[in-house]
Amino acid sequence: MSLTDRIAQGLESGWKVTDGASLTGNLTTEADVVVVGTGAGGGTTAEILARNGLSVILVEEGRLYYQKDFKMDELTSYANLYQEGMSRVTRDGAIAILQGRCVGGSTTVNWTSSFRTPEATLNYWADQFGLDDLRPAAMAPWFNGREERHNVALWQVDPNVNNDILRQGCEKLGYSWKIIPRNVKGCWNLGYCGVGCPTNAKQGALMTTIPGALDNNARLFHSLRADKLVMNQDRIDHLQATAFASDGITPTGVTVTLKARHFVVAASAIGSPGLLLRSDIPDPHQRIGKRSFIHPVNASVAQMPQRVDPFYGAPQSIYSDEFNFRNGVDGPVGYKLEVPPLHPGMSSGVIPGHGETQINNMTGLPHMQSVIALLRDGFHPESPGGTVSLRDDGSPVLDYPVTDYLWTGLREAFHTMVEIQFAAGAEKVRLMHLDSNWYHTLADAKAAINRLPMEPHRVRLFTAHQMGGCGMGINPENSVVNSFGEHHHVSNLSVHDASVFPTSIGANPQLSVYALSARNSSRLANKLVN
Amino acid sequence: MHEPNPHNSRQSQFPDLDRRSFLKTGLGGALFLGTVSVTAGLSGCATRPAGRLSAVGTRMDASYQFRFLNRDDITLFEALLPAMIGPGLPEQPQARNIAIAGTIERIDAGILNFGPANQKELRRLFDLLNFGLTRVTIARVWSNWPNVTTTEADAFLERWRTSSIGLFNNGYIALTKVSNVAFYGHRDFWHLSGYPGPPKQAVDALPQFNNA
Repeated sequence: MSLTDRIAQGLESGWKVTDGASLTGNLTTEADVVVVGTGAGGGTTAEILARNGLSVILVEEGRLYYQKDFKMDELTSYANLYQEGMSRVTRDGAIAILQGRCVGGSTTVNWTSSFRTPEATLNYWADQFGLDDLRPAAMAPWFNGREERHNVALWQVDPNVNNDILRQGCEKLGYSWKIIPRNVKGCWNLGYCGVGCPTNAKQGALMTTIPGALDNNARLFHSLRADKLVMNQDRIDHLQATAFASDGITPTGVTVTLKARHFVVAASAIGSPGLLLRSDIPDPHQRIGKRSFIHPVNASVAQMPQRVDPFYGAPQSIYSDEFNFRNGVDGPVGYKLEVPPLHPGMSSGVIPGHGETQINNMTGLPHMQSVIALLRDGFHPESPGGTVSLRDDGSPVLDYPVTDYLWTGLREAFHTMVEIQFAAGAEKVRLMHLDSNWYHTLADAKAAINRLPMEPHRVRLFTAHQMGGCGMGINPENSVVNSFGEHHHVSNLSVHDASVFPTSIGANPQLSVYALSARNSSRLANKLVN
Repeated sequence: MHEPNPHNSRQSQFPDLDRRSFLKTGLGGALFLGTVSVTAGLSGCATRPAGRLSAVGTRMDASYQFRFLNRDDITLFEALLPAMIGPGLPEQPQARNIAIAGTIERIDAGILNFGPANQKELRRLFDLLNFGLTRVTIARVWSNWPNVTTTEADAFLERWRTSSIGLFNNGYIALTKVSNVAFYGHRDFWHLSGYPGPPKQAVDALPQFNNA
């Protein structure tokens, strides 16, 4: 097994990589295309454009971290690799937002689950938003291509106990379950995907498209925040960006001006609407930042008789879609069932509690198992999503009201999760809810779920999947870009990330972003080369 | 914590305000906390980061430079952590002080990466808890933090956890999250959760762990 690091080698070979922190004076430079963001969308875009001979500049607000930095340590990784040091929340503080902030974006810290966009979702988009050219048959070759590029394959190793309990519970109850496809190559099955892959096995943007772009003469600026796209007449003239010091958070005052023929925004479903709003991009129907979706997540933990060691092994390898589309694509909300890894820092922050109660919770960690439900939001009139807007300082913030439609789904998901855990042999279960105790029988747990208030803050909610805010559609009155990610009103602006999804996906979104960006970047490359 | 939001749909609650719905309202809550921040500043509370503190006076490692927490915040956490971590803290006095001091340092270091928006929210929260009038009226903690017993600190946390006011639940989550992660997430306390740390064979095999 080779431990030769792709990034270290590339830097040595003369890749054009500039650390914003190292800039001592203002700088102006130019390329065919400026790509804002280096995650699933930005990386894919940069590689495809660069391979087509276009000059590309990549801009990343986070810093470049790679194998030398990935030491399987929670505290340093949360501080350095995640948005707002892992403290990002919705405006009212009720939903914790997990999102990457580093070269590779969230693909550097995700748990490697790689699903195609469900066919029901693509067909819904075609029917509701006129996106006929994204029907499953049309998208299939793009999924194939990206699965190959990112080495996506069904996980061949036995699931860890944490995931196997989801499988066992589903099996006992007659619920469907499946093995998760993962984007890894030579994975050591360690369990540290969420803190930066220590072995370079994860084939996220950092190990694939970013090196691919840099090998083809793309230039990467990291520790550089895109502040504003500046228009001249009806086109974007340049991007104004500011550098951060090596701590990744203190602005140095150095400004970088990046000129280009075309600009691709791929700064995430929070960052992209934020940048467009800061830039006063024409938005006659006020669609920027609207219809933001998050796959709201609730969770339950169980104490198992056997050792689970939920901190070791591939974090996600089993899922169940039994409840995801059961009520049709647009009925009562569906949810996907998965498992999260549990390391001590994350667990102690996610399980609400203090004092003796909390240390008792934590002492059980080696026997702890958790199930999460990811709600498929955005497919129903009572799930209109949230809104990204700007704070006074220009930073983006997400408002996400949880509607009664979603609360009903969250309560149902709690029922399902504890049923599965008890069916798999749990001794007791506890809901991620401020009022939850440990419940030793299924009847007690279900009685509690019926009784406990489904309210913001009291139910602990999370999101690891941010989508929408620059939605696609054929009608400019209810969308920001067309199915190629091309802005409806500004001809040299495209959006290539999860912000273009007009609903949530109904599955972990990275492969959806890879595939759609690949499709749209190939088209863009054609246009710009000719 | 809440940010002022002029477009908040809950604004419609204003015509029939009582004290509770006022606090439940994002706008009301934020205005209120904003007032505290200003008042605390005017009344001479320690609002600047604590910088380097003497190890003797504060039991802190003198080499650590505080960049967000001020002296009052440190006192606040010194009072809260025994309730927050409870029996997880060592009993031996010196070990206990080192554990508390180290956790407060990591809380400070963690908050540095939170960015300006969340730092502002935490500043409001800490000011509210540190400023005498609001400590008594809002947190219902009668003594100064250095004189607060572990039982009283626990009762305060419990009040905010079980409160029907979302703003207080949010404060509870903010305080416990930064404390729990800084404590249980640190290698010195991994043994409390039975976490053996990264697999040894991987640590031995991987280049980033081999300094030689």
